[in-house]
Amino acid sequence: MDSEDDMHDANDVDSYEEDYYSGDAMYSDDDDDAGYEFLHNDSDDSDDVLISRQQKNFTILKEDDIRQRQEDDITRICSVLSVSRDSACMLLRRYNWNVSNVHEAWFANEDKVRKAVGLLDKTTYKPTKARELPCGICFESYLLDKISTAACGHPFCNTCWTAYISTSINDGPGCLTLRCPIPSCGAAVGVDMVNMLTSDEDKTKYQRYLLRSYIEDNRKTKWCPAPGCDCAIEFDLGSGSYDVTCHCSYSFCWNCTEEAHRPVDCETVSKWIMKNSAESENMNWILANSKPCPKCKRPIEKNQGCMHMTCNPPCKYEFCWLCLGQWSDHGERTGGFYACNRYESAKQEGAYDESERRREMAKNSLERYTHYYERWATNQSSRQKALADLHQMQTVHLAKLSEKQCQPETQLKFIIEAWLQIVECRRVLKWTYAYGYYLPEQELAKRQFFEYLQGEAEAGLERLHQCAEKELNTYLNEDGSQDEFNNFRTKLAGLTSVTRNYFENLVRALENGLADVDAHGASSKTSSSKNAAGTSKAKGTKGKGSIRGRTDDSTGWSCDQCTYMNSKNATSCQMCHNSR
Amino acid sequence: MQASRARLFKEYKEVQREKSADPDIQLVCDDSNIFKWTALIKGPSETPYEGGVFQLAFSVPEQYPLQPPQVRFLTKIFHPNVHFKTGEICLDILKNAWSPAWTLQSVCRAIIALMAHPEPDSPLNCDSGNLLRSGDVRGFQSMAKMYTRLAAMPKKG
Repeated sequence: MDSEDDMHDANDVDSYEEDYYSGDAMYSDDDDDAGYEFLHNDSDDSDDVLISRQQKNFTILKEDDIRQRQEDDITRICSVLSVSRDSACMLLRRYNWNVSNVHEAWFANEDKVRKAVGLLDKTTYKPTKARELPCGICFESYLLDKISTAACGHPFCNTCWTAYISTSINDGPGCLTLRCPIPSCGAAVGVDMVNMLTSDEDKTKYQRYLLRSYIEDNRKTKWCPAPGCDCAIEFDLGSGSYDVTCHCSYSFCWNCTEEAHRPVDCETVSKWIMKNSAESENMNWILANSKPCPKCKRPIEKNQGCMHMTCNPPCKYEFCWLCLGQWSDHGERTGGFYACNRYESAKQEGAYDESERRREMAKNSLERYTHYYERWATNQSSRQKALADLHQMQTVHLAKLSEKQCQPETQLKFIIEAWLQIVECRRVLKWTYAYGYYLPEQELAKRQFFEYLQGEAEAGLERLHQCAEKELNTYLNEDGSQDEFNNFRTKLAGLTSVTRNYFENLVRALENGLADVDAHGASSKTSSSKNAAGTSKAKGTKGKGSIRGRTDDSTGWSCDQCTYMNSKNATSCQMCHNSR
Repeated sequence: MQASRARLFKEYKEVQREKSADPDIQLVCDDSNIFKWTALIKGPSETPYEGGVFQLAFSVPEQYPLQPPQVRFLTKIFHPNVHFKTGEICLDILKNAWSPAWTLQSVCRAIIALMAHPEPDSPLNCDSGNLLRSGDVRGFQSMAKMYTRLAAMPKKG
């Protein structure tokens, strides 16, 4: 989750860019590897900073850690209150494992606490000094060594105790507050008796409930919701972002335990998820149908990550999966525009064919919802695919590529980084569609700004995804020359970085509620967002002059299309081949 | 299975030995099945059930006494916590507050106590519960008394 860390790190961005660009300018004169190394090290450093920062915010607890903490808490109570471990455990459970609450309650009114928890300081039942005692459950008489008692002294035979405790354990976590079987007694039956009297299986179950109680009753801890993950997350309440990432690499929102949805807030997410389940009937119908190729009309099922589709030969028609428009309209070189994130944008475009279709679509709200849902769901499945691809890359392809290109795997880390960035960006992009759905129609300026940022980010991501998915394939399957591969390295690493910047802008803008729109012309955090906010017809001028901040001919020039910082003697952009 | 049978047998012997210990309760085991019992209980005095004799049916599970017995009224009774049609009883010790230290005898005592102190806030018989909750004690009592006379007293003549 390195890429995510980077994205969250808003404050470091400026200095980071500075480093990145200066390094970049330097490398173009030197050899490629040196430049790459620099870039690579740079991102590693920022990761370290971030990891330490994250640890302030939340802690991942493995099962052993949880047990350790539980033991520590019990020990603290034992030593302060001078009670047995057994009693300390029951006290802590009663007060939701909050040590200071136990202290407070105990020293305020010890008798009351003892009564509530069932800790008796003397036996209530005085048995006769007989050799045998009747068991209170099976009513048989037993020699004393076959009899056990809780703190109260009520005698039951060991067999009945075992059955009594085992029944309770199998009834669920209520066994943690088990009391003496005599209804009026109320003496607690704790972990000591459980360990003494029950089977190993029941003991394990009881320990499991005790462990769960430690996490579930505590206000500051929650289980990781990923299936099969045993870790818990302790969160510092009242500290910044709720996004946490578990050891299992699952990212979720600590507040609502849905998957991580930054920059969109929990309320919007829950509304969106509710809506999806309510509308799922319609959606299933719509999405169950594959899309026909816009040219040859053969049905096409999407099974790869990016939106650039190519129909099978002989058709070979290239189109965008989302709008079914020609792909060449989306590219940079043709001067076309990637419009697929837009819902009602076509108005300004005028002659655009798509616009008619979209206006039709906007007619009823289901279709409006469909628009957003489809994009949300497509990004979701794209992300799943990217995750699988990343895994495949790490386990299989990297070694293969390392062999083919005669480069150590450590030198190929830029590919993994690109994929991590794709996975993270798909997640953010997905949630921006939920955001877009709830952004009021009448807030035109905000909508435009939002769609502009989203479009920029999406276009960047598509370029990156395309490069990582398709271009890489050629190097996997045939022996490309060393030079070509080095060019590819530069391109992919550059795209990763550029895309990261786009998404940082997007996340930042959404998190401050698109406030830059209101502060018209006021200094905004990034030059690109200021430019977009100030230009209501952002479309035509897309990119042009948007990232101007650093254009300085002495070190190099920034590409108008993709913002890539080229060396000063390059005549066309190394990234997108746009001429200067 | 064996444990529950042994325990029920103990209870059976106890009932035989102290037949007169509690004159309000007459507990009888089925001749052929120790897991089926019936009880006759007297309606507590100073309640609308006074003078009536109510029949209870016990069905004892194999996990007894770790699991509670199932008890229901065979005699029709107008009471907030007893289902008017099935005779099912809503009583905590027959559900989650059960303890293996309870016996069939003590369950009968608990049911007699429930007859004297109904809990209208968790009613199985809503008509009866609503009468009490709206404060119409006289209405409740006359209804309960009528059903006691109709169902729980020997027919005159």
